[in-house]
Amino acid sequence: MRPFSTLIELTLRALVGRRRTVLIALLAWLPVLLGILVRVGGGRPDASQILDALVIRTVCPLVALVVGTGVIGSEIEDGTLIFQLVKPVPRWLTAAAKALVAAFLTAILIVPPVAVTGLLLGGLGPESIQTSVGFAVATLIGGTAYAVGFTALGVITSRALIVGLGYTLIWEGILAGILEGTRFLSVRQATLGVASTLTGRDVGSDPLGIGVSIVILAAVIVGGFGVTSARLRRFQLRTAD
Amino acid sequence: MPVTAPEPVVPAPPVVPAMQVDHVSRWYGNVVAVNDVSFALGPGITGLLGPNGAGKSTLLHLLAGLLAPSAGSVRVGGRTAFGDPGVYSVVGLVPEREAVPGYLTGRQFVRSNAELQSVPDVGTATDTAIATVEMTDAADRPIRTYSKGMRQRMKVAAALVHEPRILLLDEPFNGMDPRQRLHMMELLRRMAADGRAILFSSHILEEVERLAEAVLVVYAGRLAASGDFRSIRRLMTDRPHRFTIRSSDDRGLAAALLANPAVFGVELLDGRLAVQASDLGAFARIVAPIARTAGIRLHELTPTDDTLESVFSYLVRR
Repeated sequence: MRPFSTLIELTLRALVGRRRTVLIALLAWLPVLLGILVRVGGGRPDASQILDALVIRTVCPLVALVVGTGVIGSEIEDGTLIFQLVKPVPRWLTAAAKALVAAFLTAILIVPPVAVTGLLLGGLGPESIQTSVGFAVATLIGGTAYAVGFTALGVITSRALIVGLGYTLIWEGILAGILEGTRFLSVRQATLGVASTLTGRDVGSDPLGIGVSIVILAAVIVGGFGVTSARLRRFQLRTAD
Repeated sequence: MPVTAPEPVVPAPPVVPAMQVDHVSRWYGNVVAVNDVSFALGPGITGLLGPNGAGKSTLLHLLAGLLAPSAGSVRVGGRTAFGDPGVYSVVGLVPEREAVPGYLTGRQFVRSNAELQSVPDVGTATDTAIATVEMTDAADRPIRTYSKGMRQRMKVAAALVHEPRILLLDEPFNGMDPRQRLHMMELLRRMAADGRAILFSSHILEEVERLAEAVLVVYAGRLAASGDFRSIRRLMTDRPHRFTIRSSDDRGLAAALLANPAVFGVELLDGRLAVQASDLGAFARIVAPIARTAGIRLHELTPTDDTLESVFSYLVRR
């Protein structure tokens, strides 16, 4: 397992050292800042609405996008990935290490702020705790799906950030709210479905059922890993002459 | 009288080239980067020579399994190079352009390569590889503080850490100072003496001349010539050479030169004489005496095709 742990260490170090990751980590704590401001202002808004709008719709996909595309895409861009690929290590193992780091880092960046924001907005009552924990678990699963999906995107295209933003803003932000069928191809809708079940409240409008949501998220995670493995197995260098 | 069993006849093992390239082409849309190249790479140092943009890096990436051939095959010890990470247990690659992670120290970088190669004793292998490239003193500094030559040497250390049988180096001397260059050449010679197959690319004839026993000349994606360095060098020297001459009597000089077998073509241009010589050495020896005998003064003699480009172009046309 030494190559696997080395791949994880190299990927983590590369990612944590990037300015982009530091900025996105700050963005992840934006909901907490909002929660503090609301508390200071004496407001008592519906925590689930804020968490839905701010975390699941905005912060979670953005953090996962930066992290997911960074684990491989950035290494392809600067050429450092080559030193990891010209080794007798199965490419699926490399893909697994990258996906694991993307999911882990996304979870670390998103889940604590979600829980803290939920408690700040809702207080320490049992209902608030259920809401906070529900959203934290939903973002853990949804963030993993986003991160693994965006990792695959980073191997498919050198414009993964733009394509990922397009998916998040246009597909999930606009089309999934207008066209009924597109909900089933939306990580956000599936994450909201999980959050609805765990919090016991209707989060978003007409959320997906837990079964469908889990199937969608599992399909994205498994599919994303499969695509990353397959692309790495057939990886070709862009060459200049 | 003791009876001894006859010595069993052990057939000599077949000589399997370390790397076999068969009719390999690689194209990008309509652009052909490598065109129908075939050769076998055996133990020793082979230079891959060609001007910038000739297809050397593409060819090296094909050999390293980092590009799939559009046609033909590249085999490493009988296994297909592309899509089989197992070949990297016997292949070491020193890429030219790819960045080394600047946030790691040299030692961490080489060590991570040793770990990914699953070498049995990572610490010893790391120290040995770093010592081999004489980077022990700087090994614990972050790579981002290194000069280009130091980075290059750490790349070599990382490629050597598992003691590969085949070493591929893309322009390994770029950015090195003369002392580092000499040291690297000595290192590669030592490795070749151990029976390793080493292929390095260069666009500088002198580098290849000093180091390589065999040469592959690539021009415009094609293998223009291959063989031992001396025969390639002879081909380059013995090719037809072109000169332009300005003299006091171009027409008279043209007639006098044509009478000599070293010259096989002359052309009167506007105020100049274009000469084609079959033998560079012979022409250099005869041109002044011929002019002097004919009472003609030479004002200017200029070689017109002495660039490396024209040499490669000639080798392709042969």
